[in-house]
Amino acid sequence: MDADSDVALDILITNVVCVFRTRCHLNLRKIALEGANVIYKRDVGKVLMKLRKPRITATIWSSGKVICTGATSEEEAKLGARRLARSLQKLGFQVIFTDFKVVNVLAVCNMPFEIRLPEFTKNNRPHASYEPELHPAVCYRIKTLRATLQIFSTGSITVTGPNIKAVASAVEQIYPFVFESRK
Amino acid sequence: LIFLLSLDVLPRVTCPNHPDSILVEDYRAGDMICSECGLVVGDRVIDVGSEWRTFSNDKATKDPSRVGDTQNPLLSDGDLSTMIGKGTGAASFDEFGNSKYQNRRTMSSSDRAMMNAFKEITNMADRINLPRNIVDRTNNLFKQVYEQKSLKGRSNDAIASACLYIACRQEGVPRTFKGNLIFTLCLEICAVSRISKKEIGRCFKLILKALETSVDLITTGDFMSRFCSNLGLPKQVQMAATHIARKAVELDLVPGRSPISVAAAAIYMASQASAEKRTQKEIGDIAGVADVTIRQSYRLIYPRAPDLFPADFKFDTPVDKLPQL
Repeated sequence: MDADSDVALDILITNVVCVFRTRCHLNLRKIALEGANVIYKRDVGKVLMKLRKPRITATIWSSGKVICTGATSEEEAKLGARRLARSLQKLGFQVIFTDFKVVNVLAVCNMPFEIRLPEFTKNNRPHASYEPELHPAVCYRIKTLRATLQIFSTGSITVTGPNIKAVASAVEQIYPFVFESRK
Repeated sequence: LIFLLSLDVLPRVTCPNHPDSILVEDYRAGDMICSECGLVVGDRVIDVGSEWRTFSNDKATKDPSRVGDTQNPLLSDGDLSTMIGKGTGAASFDEFGNSKYQNRRTMSSSDRAMMNAFKEITNMADRINLPRNIVDRTNNLFKQVYEQKSLKGRSNDAIASACLYIACRQEGVPRTFKGNLIFTLCLEICAVSRISKKEIGRCFKLILKALETSVDLITTGDFMSRFCSNLGLPKQVQMAATHIARKAVELDLVPGRSPISVAAAAIYMASQASAEKRTQKEIGDIAGVADVTIRQSYRLIYPRAPDLFPADFKFDTPVDKLPQL
């Protein structure tokens, strides 16, 4: 989560997405009527519940699966998920907090230099894909880490990966390549 | 007796002495002859080309072909199927004058979707006057993608459009009498296809991944001749615009801007400096970029305008009088 030892790069985690199960069927109508801060999307069949304390938005399905987005760290995500489960419990459902898993972590990182994208793509042919007509960033995929990095010409990089460690090591991996094609 | 298909890419026989040499076909005798030693390797080769040449303005009451259409083994899975042809005698018509046995039976049903796609591809390519080699390349790409089945869920038209785009890019920038042939996703392919640019772009990326190929990056010069000729700009202005765009990219005045936007801004600057002025809206229409986008890119290159023009350019409007947006 923190900076590299050689280079002081700040990797800011902007979003952590996690899922958990309540192991019981949830009555969405009841949640919509009695819960606080909820939005009922009847056409899709889900309820959005927003928490204030850890700023979290949760998508609740009637099967009992819940997707939690908006947290800024893994611990916060767990805390928020637990708090959510507690509030569902207060509404009267027999909630059991199981199968908690962090699914996706989004982080932003800023390089102190600008990057030449065409040069970078040429040097990293199979992994990098750049289509200026579609998106102004280069999309670099690291298969081993299952991480995707979007590299912009201003030097800011958006990383998404399955967990925080993967994200950090992705940034470490990409740094030398990006450094080569700097301005 | 060895029967060979003359359209085979990989000949199934080779000369025993020279396995690498190309076999020359002798149509008169139906032989395949080794080009190195002259040994007749294939005997009684069956030519599966078309029997007669048919022209569209011929009175097509009689179809003289006795063996059907040309075989296309490279693309379809072999054209072997049974069809019911148009009737000739009186017995083939029932009471009302309709022909009995109306249906021409479905041909090669396993690849009907593929043949449909080929027809679509030919139609699209026709609308933008693409040469046959690009169409062939597109067909090959489509076949590969179709066989892989990794993009099976996507609309066939979307895959066909994306294949067409890839084929154009792969062909590089050949100079024909029609000018450059690198195509922009938004403008050309969208214009002839009903699929949205987003969907074509998605399929394009998926196909590149599925076939493990990549394409070269587009540059500003690729589109210059086409845009300029569409706008009716003289050669001088086109050369100036090309120079401006290239210089702008070299000096890195426009980081992160799509090459097409930069090209459009360069054309705007060049045309405004010459006698043939074009508005941003006109250029935006041709290039497929919004006029605000041209404005943005123009603002980036405007400060260095005197350096970007070629040395021998004749200014109708001097550099300091160029419009400032």
